[in-house]
Amino acid sequence: MILVNFEKELPRFTLKAAIMLEKPMTAILWGESGAGKTTVLDCIAGLAEPDRGEVLLEGVTVFSSSRGVNLPPRERGVGFVFQSYALFPHLTAEENVALAMPRERRGSAAGYLERLRIAHLRKTKPPLLSGGERQRLALARALAIHPRLLLLDEPFSALDWRTREETHREFLAMRDELAMSVILVTHDRAEADLLGHRIYELRDGEVLE
Amino acid sequence: MNLLSPILLSLRVAALATLVTLLVGLGLARLLGLRRVPLRRLWEAVIMLPLVFPPTLTGYLLLVILGKRGPIGALLASLGLTVVFTWIAAVIASFVVSLPLMFQNCKAALLSVDPQYENAARTLGLSEGRVFRRITLPLAAPGILAGTALSFARAMGEFGATLMVAGNIPGRTQTMPLALYAAVEGGRSVEANILLAVTVGLCFALVAVVSIYERRGYRVRDSGRPEGELPRNGRPRTGRPWNGRIRNGGGRP
Repeated sequence: MILVNFEKELPRFTLKAAIMLEKPMTAILWGESGAGKTTVLDCIAGLAEPDRGEVLLEGVTVFSSSRGVNLPPRERGVGFVFQSYALFPHLTAEENVALAMPRERRGSAAGYLERLRIAHLRKTKPPLLSGGERQRLALARALAIHPRLLLLDEPFSALDWRTREETHREFLAMRDELAMSVILVTHDRAEADLLGHRIYELRDGEVLE
Repeated sequence: MNLLSPILLSLRVAALATLVTLLVGLGLARLLGLRRVPLRRLWEAVIMLPLVFPPTLTGYLLLVILGKRGPIGALLASLGLTVVFTWIAAVIASFVVSLPLMFQNCKAALLSVDPQYENAARTLGLSEGRVFRRITLPLAAPGILAGTALSFARAMGEFGATLMVAGNIPGRTQTMPLALYAAVEGGRSVEANILLAVTVGLCFALVAVVSIYERRGYRVRDSGRPEGELPRNGRPRTGRPWNGRIRNGGGRP
């Protein structure tokens, strides 16, 4: 179960986030740009700190203001696909994935690339990949840590429409196969309707179901 | 007059000073640039001082500190060690005057790394130490290298502070800039010209190294694919979107 319930003061408004996934499913966080969508993800991943509230991921309290818990990002087990993908430009595709793995599991990095059908690019560095390939690599890297929760920040916004349609289809197939808790951020309402089991709208700093 | 001795001494002094400067400068940049340290601005100002001090003043201060009656000099003397007027003093002088350049370059290089890469590494479970070693350091390497080259050049050219604290003893502490000064002062223009040619050659080599690495750094940071460039596996890329088939049998592990 995923429970996100916190408040954070931002310069222009107070962000109030309330998201609950009682079983593995894909929740969409939809809202206009500047609504604070990325901040919600940052707070869940531990890259930003909420002022009040709690974040529970599969039974683990990763943040709780009342109990003084604030786990660093590396202990949260949250897979994060950043909007710009944040792929390490000096490492090959395979090294990008293997970096997250303990030494004894490194050999399986290629397996993740194969699963995302980019195994043939394992020796290629991210600056030489296309938008679609980068997105796959970012997803492979996030999945490689066996995350409790997968966060996707506008993962399709950098793609041209044809690649986007294709990756939407793939995402739907993968969503059902993985049976994992996913929170996907988008500003595109049609994308939200297409990809989510449940849609949360972020408006005026509040999350509405 | 032996011309090889000052050249070799200068290279030895500059190489050792640069190595120490790199370790200290990078460490200080990491400590002061990325963490909340009390009196951070004061520490930074102290590190930067030799850049604005006249080198002879820096040399005099070092002489006071390292001399037999100085705080550190007295301690060393009690152990039977003398630093002033040895080549080690030249290394210390070069280290002190080149540290500001190294510190500034390292700090700028570390700050130039997009924090998103470091955050991505954190979410992947890397400790802060590994984030620094595997992500920050390689991405900052071009800037750090430029700082290293600058520091080396500064150390090679060190004159005033070296003269004060190491003296100008031919064969022992006479570095290349001091030998050049002595040659000109003594009217030995052939010697001076040879030293000039060697210095110019070394400077060109340094600039070449820096420019090569800066180009490499640009390639690493560039997020777009250069037009018409082949990927590493050597196959030309087409503009077609991915067609759902694996192109070369998948390269199974």
